[in-house]
Amino acid sequence: MSNERHKLHPISALLNFIKGLKDLIFPFVIIFVANGFQGGSTEDSHWTAYIPYIIGPLVLILVLFSGFIKWKRFVYWFEDDELRIEYGLFVKKKRYIPIERIQSLNYTEGILHRPFKLVKVTIETAGSGSTKEAEAELTAITKEAAKWIETTLAQAKKRKLSKISDSDLVGEVDIVEKETTVTSTPIFKMSMKDLIMLATTSGGIGVIFSGLAVFFSQFSEFIPYERIYDEVVVFMKFGVFIVAISVFMVLLVAWFGSVVLTTLNYYQFTIVQEDDQIVLTRGLLEKKKVTIPLSRVQGIRIVESPLRQLFGYCAVIIESAGGSVGDKDQKIRLFPLVKRNKIKQPLQKLFAQLELEPDWISSPKKAKPFYYRLDFLWMMPVVIAISIFFYPFGLLSLLILPIIFLLGLWQHRSAAFAQTNNQLSLRFRGFSKSTFFIERKRMQSLIMKQTPFQKRKALASIETTIKSGVTGVTAKVDHMKIEDIEEVMTWYKPSGQ
Amino acid sequence: MRNIPINQISPQGLKVWRLYGLMHSAIVWLLAIGGGVLNWWLEGPWWVLMICVVLPVLYTYLFVILFPKLQWLRWRYEVREQEIELQYGLFVVKRTLVPMVRVQHVDTAQGPILRKYDLASITISTAATTHTIPALITSEADELRSRISTLARVAEDDV
Repeated sequence: MSNERHKLHPISALLNFIKGLKDLIFPFVIIFVANGFQGGSTEDSHWTAYIPYIIGPLVLILVLFSGFIKWKRFVYWFEDDELRIEYGLFVKKKRYIPIERIQSLNYTEGILHRPFKLVKVTIETAGSGSTKEAEAELTAITKEAAKWIETTLAQAKKRKLSKISDSDLVGEVDIVEKETTVTSTPIFKMSMKDLIMLATTSGGIGVIFSGLAVFFSQFSEFIPYERIYDEVVVFMKFGVFIVAISVFMVLLVAWFGSVVLTTLNYYQFTIVQEDDQIVLTRGLLEKKKVTIPLSRVQGIRIVESPLRQLFGYCAVIIESAGGSVGDKDQKIRLFPLVKRNKIKQPLQKLFAQLELEPDWISSPKKAKPFYYRLDFLWMMPVVIAISIFFYPFGLLSLLILPIIFLLGLWQHRSAAFAQTNNQLSLRFRGFSKSTFFIERKRMQSLIMKQTPFQKRKALASIETTIKSGVTGVTAKVDHMKIEDIEEVMTWYKPSGQ
Repeated sequence: MRNIPINQISPQGLKVWRLYGLMHSAIVWLLAIGGGVLNWWLEGPWWVLMICVVLPVLYTYLFVILFPKLQWLRWRYEVREQEIELQYGLFVVKRTLVPMVRVQHVDTAQGPILRKYDLASITISTAATTHTIPALITSEADELRSRISTLARVAEDDV
């Protein structure tokens, strides 16, 4: 194996710079906004007033320079069955990752990557314990280099596995040959129609709104409320109609934004199975390719939001272990949106063991009140308070009660679990309906919970946790018959007694 | 109905919980006294004074006498060859089952108060969850820790 040291493509310097800028935008805006509001009169130009204008370009140059340095000092190479990376100017960092620890390579092609046929490679490891440490990112390398890394890895792994002693060169070549013939079966491709459906019903609206809320809450200190208040009063005189229209316009723009974002992100979404890996590609402007080893999949989850359920659609998410903290790719949307009745075949192809239609045991009839009683109890004072304080219109809050009641009934109808040979399936609804399919060996623990009220009716709740990313995800079904839960507990017990 | 796990935690644990309860009761008492003095000084209504007396008394009763007792009575654990079973909870009774195969590591921990009573807590970690047995005699805890780690190493995966 050659120990030649490789550099990243020069475009990395620019990418580093842009990334640095992105991190700086927020502090910058704050500095300028704060400056703009505090002084007011620029007439008495004291020299301190210019500090931001001096610091600004200075920081810019610094970021540009550091981006350049980062690229200049970054080298990677293979040695002793390790991927070694070195970078840093003053603090020299070395990161050696044993090849057998590398789980998968993920590729991202941004807009800047594509004209030069480059790709960003993220190296994922099993991520046990000290997470962020064992990860590496190659900001921009040529596709040939990426291919080379891939084959080198495969070669090294294979060699380790078969433990061919001594330098049996012929054997090695054979292995390389074998490795290149990967059987890949297409599993799923999202159609344009489904993409549009996904985009239009995307929950991204909420994301954008919360983003706006965060943005404004950050700036609330700098907003001159008195002035705005006066303006709002004037604005109000135009009438409620205009207010309503503008709210609607904001909503519309937010929704449109989310449609565009979703379309860009999920354009040409495809799932392919390559040996024992799932390969996922998506994106229009920024192409992403993510590989997930099938052995890392901990559980499968089907999510049906009310709106999508109405049209018979659902999303299939796989929970996979490993990765790093804050890595959102761990909850991988296997099928971002599919017809509920079409998931069986592709899922069975990927996971032969999976039992998608087990015999569900539903929450018993006597459990019904448990789903709305408690909510009533704590909503009551709120509703009463609102009704009294905003007397005529406050009474509208009474409408919440039937809504809670109906939602409770709906939740009750969804609650169920099923225990088959090697799999526990759990189904429950908060607002969206989730269905978990978990293999017994993936369940980290099983907990039965019982309140005194549940005890009186011989009911209990059950929850299990599986690994997802570096932490876990918990599936819980409330208010089931205690005998049924006891049965699951006994089933889960390794001793089986 | 399955039989509940057999082992109880140390009676000393109850004392420690009472001590913890006393500690936060003390804070509540301080706040109440502060409130009472302020009320007297500002000549506030008499019922505020009543609250300042009743609330801390009630709090002390609940967190020093009643809750620790209930919690202690509820706590049960059992370490079997292939699984660990716990039962705990004040109002909501929780029954936890952790297969030995899933156990990744076991820790014992001992704060200053626990040390004074010669107690330690055991924390059992799986890949995604952690479970704690709160108050065991130190020697017992150490023994249990090594027992669990041995059993966890031996346990065969049921793939």
